[in-house]
Amino acid sequence: MLLAVLIANSEGNILVERFNGVPGEERLHWRSFLVKLGADNLKGVKNEELCVACHKSVYIVYTVLGHVSIYLVGKDEYDELALSEAIFVVTSAIKDVCGKPPTERLFLDKYGRICLCLDEIVWKGLLENTDKDRIKRLIRLKPPTDF
Amino acid sequence: MAQYVKKDDDRDEEEYSPFLGIEKGAVLQEARVFNDPQLDSRRCSQVITKLLYLLNQGETFTKVEATEVFFSVTKLFQSKDIGLRRMVYLIIKELSPSSDEVIIVTSSLMKDMNSKTDVYRANAIRVLCRITDGTLLTQIERYLKQAIVDKNPVVASAALVSGIHLLQTNPEIVKRWSNEVQEAVQSRAALVQFHALALLHQIRQNDRLAVSKLVTSLTRGTVRSPLAQCLLIRYTSQVIRESSMNNQSGDRPFYDYLEGCLRHKAEMVIFEAARAITELNGVTSRELTPAITVLQLFLSSSKPVLRFAAVRTLNKVAMTHPMAVTSCNIDMESLISDQNRSIATLAITTLLKTGNESGVDRLMKQITNFMSDIADEFKIVVVDAIRSLCLKFPLKYRSLMNFLSNILREEGGFEYKKAIVDSIVILIRDIPDAKESGLLHLCEFIEDCEFTYLSTQILHFLGVEGPKTSDPSKYIRYIYNRVILENATVRASAVSTLAKFGAVVDSLKPRIFVLLRRCLYDNDDEVRDRATLYLNTLGGDGSVVETDKDVKDFLFGSLDIPLANLEASLKNYEPTEEPFDISSVPKEVKSQPLAEKKTAGKKPTALGAPPAGPTSTVDAYEKLLSSIPEFSSFGKLFKSSTPVELTEAETEYAVNVVKHIFDKHVVFQYNCTNTIPEQLLENVVVVVDASEAEEFAEVATMPLKSLPYDTPGQTFVAFEKPEGVPAVGRFSNVLKFLVKEVDPSTGEAEEDGVEDEYQLEDSEIVAADYMLKVGVSNFRNAWESLGPDFERIDEYGLGPRESLSEAVNAVINLLGMQPCEGTEVVAANSRSHSCLLSGVYMGNVKVLVRLSFGVDSSKEVAMKLAVRSEEESVSDAIHEIVAN
Repeated sequence: MLLAVLIANSEGNILVERFNGVPGEERLHWRSFLVKLGADNLKGVKNEELCVACHKSVYIVYTVLGHVSIYLVGKDEYDELALSEAIFVVTSAIKDVCGKPPTERLFLDKYGRICLCLDEIVWKGLLENTDKDRIKRLIRLKPPTDF
Repeated sequence: MAQYVKKDDDRDEEEYSPFLGIEKGAVLQEARVFNDPQLDSRRCSQVITKLLYLLNQGETFTKVEATEVFFSVTKLFQSKDIGLRRMVYLIIKELSPSSDEVIIVTSSLMKDMNSKTDVYRANAIRVLCRITDGTLLTQIERYLKQAIVDKNPVVASAALVSGIHLLQTNPEIVKRWSNEVQEAVQSRAALVQFHALALLHQIRQNDRLAVSKLVTSLTRGTVRSPLAQCLLIRYTSQVIRESSMNNQSGDRPFYDYLEGCLRHKAEMVIFEAARAITELNGVTSRELTPAITVLQLFLSSSKPVLRFAAVRTLNKVAMTHPMAVTSCNIDMESLISDQNRSIATLAITTLLKTGNESGVDRLMKQITNFMSDIADEFKIVVVDAIRSLCLKFPLKYRSLMNFLSNILREEGGFEYKKAIVDSIVILIRDIPDAKESGLLHLCEFIEDCEFTYLSTQILHFLGVEGPKTSDPSKYIRYIYNRVILENATVRASAVSTLAKFGAVVDSLKPRIFVLLRRCLYDNDDEVRDRATLYLNTLGGDGSVVETDKDVKDFLFGSLDIPLANLEASLKNYEPTEEPFDISSVPKEVKSQPLAEKKTAGKKPTALGAPPAGPTSTVDAYEKLLSSIPEFSSFGKLFKSSTPVELTEAETEYAVNVVKHIFDKHVVFQYNCTNTIPEQLLENVVVVVDASEAEEFAEVATMPLKSLPYDTPGQTFVAFEKPEGVPAVGRFSNVLKFLVKEVDPSTGEAEEDGVEDEYQLEDSEIVAADYMLKVGVSNFRNAWESLGPDFERIDEYGLGPRESLSEAVNAVINLLGMQPCEGTEVVAANSRSHSCLLSGVYMGNVKVLVRLSFGVDSSKEVAMKLAVRSEEESVSDAIHEIVAN
């Protein structure tokens, strides 16, 4: 299960937070844990360079894209490798929507689109679409070209 | 966006946030535009984005608010704007309307689901499946089945992923789709195949044959996406696990497939295959080698995720096959300086498991540098690994103990310090040579310890161990310093510790009295009371002293009553003229928490448990058993086994048995857990048939009065056996009880119950039950000091064996002794091996064993067994065990 997708700005304020199968009372803990993890480790990391951590039996893969940091949390079959596949899809979709690694402002300007992309990529903790071109068409309700 | 608000005038335009100052109430007001007769699609999309932003920030809507927004949103189905429609699908899912509201959109969604536009269909399916309940699902089932085999991959995937979610809530409906899903598995679209495979496996996971067929056909065919390939590898491992039992021929089914996946172009698949191979039951070194080789390559990858995945997998392998991982040690050492601390910690703990005795010092040097810049949680992992390393190479205790004492002096939180202290305590207990230096390290630590809990625990431990050392007087200074410098809790502990020294070491008594008398003027009641009490007990106030034994019993003995019961009795005690009577406290153990089951098999927790015996779990059991009058006459408990499960996992009743061995008796302690909330079990007993254990005669049964849901309890059965004879036998067990229905809403049980029984697995008493695993720090010295008087040597043929390592483990398990100096690990491909074992045999007789193994080309294993012990009969008994 892909437990969480969290996107924060460079100061650690949450921009998008989507949890799946994480009880409400644990979400705040996860939020602060991830933000601290990013603050400790993301300085000087290049765009899309992946960082990895594990916390108990849960895996975390995270990265920087422009001025936002992106965190994916998973367990069981969503281990560090599946998460890096998923985060690759998320970053490419965001870059696609924003046209470049986004600033916070650009990210917020394209907020609706980004939400639609995330909706196409992860559905209640399962990876659904992985191809950025297809996602680009799907969020505009255009049929995919590749079939 | 509608109105942008400026964050700060001085900042650059980049800093404006379109959502700055966003407020739920205002956005809900804005949502009224959804009701406008002339819809402004752009504005509606903006408002939905704001709603999404609020929801994504963790904001919640009340039921009324959500309902209102949901009803307005449904109006937007009138708009033909495609972008807006896509947003509407999303916001409906996010609002997750209740079942009575859903009806308003179902017709719109059903219309979209039959739309000619495929993407409308895909989205409508996802929304419907998210908000639907069972009744609606039966109505749309027909469309969903069609959608699964739709030629458009987006529609098919939407239906399949919906199926995966719906399987949780409506399994019987989704299971009817298996023909369509089966067809989708053959799809040419990579993701459809991935989703179909996941769903099909979930539908059929309880049908072993179907899973096996699925795996067989797919491993031969083509799997298009790496994600699906990973799933297939996982299912393949499952099939291998389940079939290995029946496989006699030696070749493992599907191994070639897994090995082939090691050469796949996707890293994800390579790792999955490597992990599957390393986790095979009884994996041989020949099977392991290719997997280890690819993992080794990834250790030097430039991508942290791959390094992490590789070192994580190798770390797991090192737990079971340390020798197989040694080839990666050089690569692993370079990871100690990895920027990513998770990787570095995993590398270190792996090295600590695979390193040999000669490399320990070098490794410790590297770790010292590393420790200063990692977080406490990683440090704890390293400390645990060092403790196991020290137990494995007791001769190296000096450098490892020094390392622990050094890190103990550095900064760190409570959990970290506790882990270090626990480790030192365990080393002191298990390695007699390490005792004095370890105690001094602890003494130095409490000189500057900010944690009251740790100080009191160490003082308690010091009181038990300190008086037994060669020069107890040197600890007194550290202890008395606590009386002068610390808070009341620590001072009180220090007073107790001083008293223990006084009780055991006569030469120190007069000086202890002086110190205790000073404590009589302490400003804390408890400290003064303790000082008065101990002076009185030890005779320091000139009164008539109780006998020496009474004093020691009082100071060192346990209360013999469960603390929980004492606490309850004290709470119920009303202050009256009549003093509190401790004998009125019930001794019966009501129920032990689940934690007991989890920890019983592990190493004893260091400080918490009483320290006397070789293993502290035995002490806990001893206390428990001696509190039961029927067993109190059995004498000293020799050994308690680790719990043996008598039920499979996840059955209605979980039962395990702990075997307690006494000189003339054996007690079976059945730990029972009732996992059914609707049942209360009463009068629980285990009926034991000992017809295959001729030398045993049942003497007592202790039924368990009541076994409520999820509160474990114990029932006991005791047998008599001939004194001093290592009798063996097999016992069949049936759990019998009275079952009463419980109303889950009130938790009340019905008056009448029904008698029922439940078949358990058999239990066995084997030769190893009469042997305690007790290690020695230096085997050679111990061997020499036992001398050759009662040495017995003989040779045995063990017949054809799977591997040398398997033969070595079989003999270790048969004898139940402690392997020393890491000799239980057999080097890969070696033709011979020596193994050193140590233990204490029934009657507290020390035994040492030297085993020499050799294997020939036909896998015939021969063994030479040399035994030395303190008694001739015991040396013979060991040979008898092997000969039988």
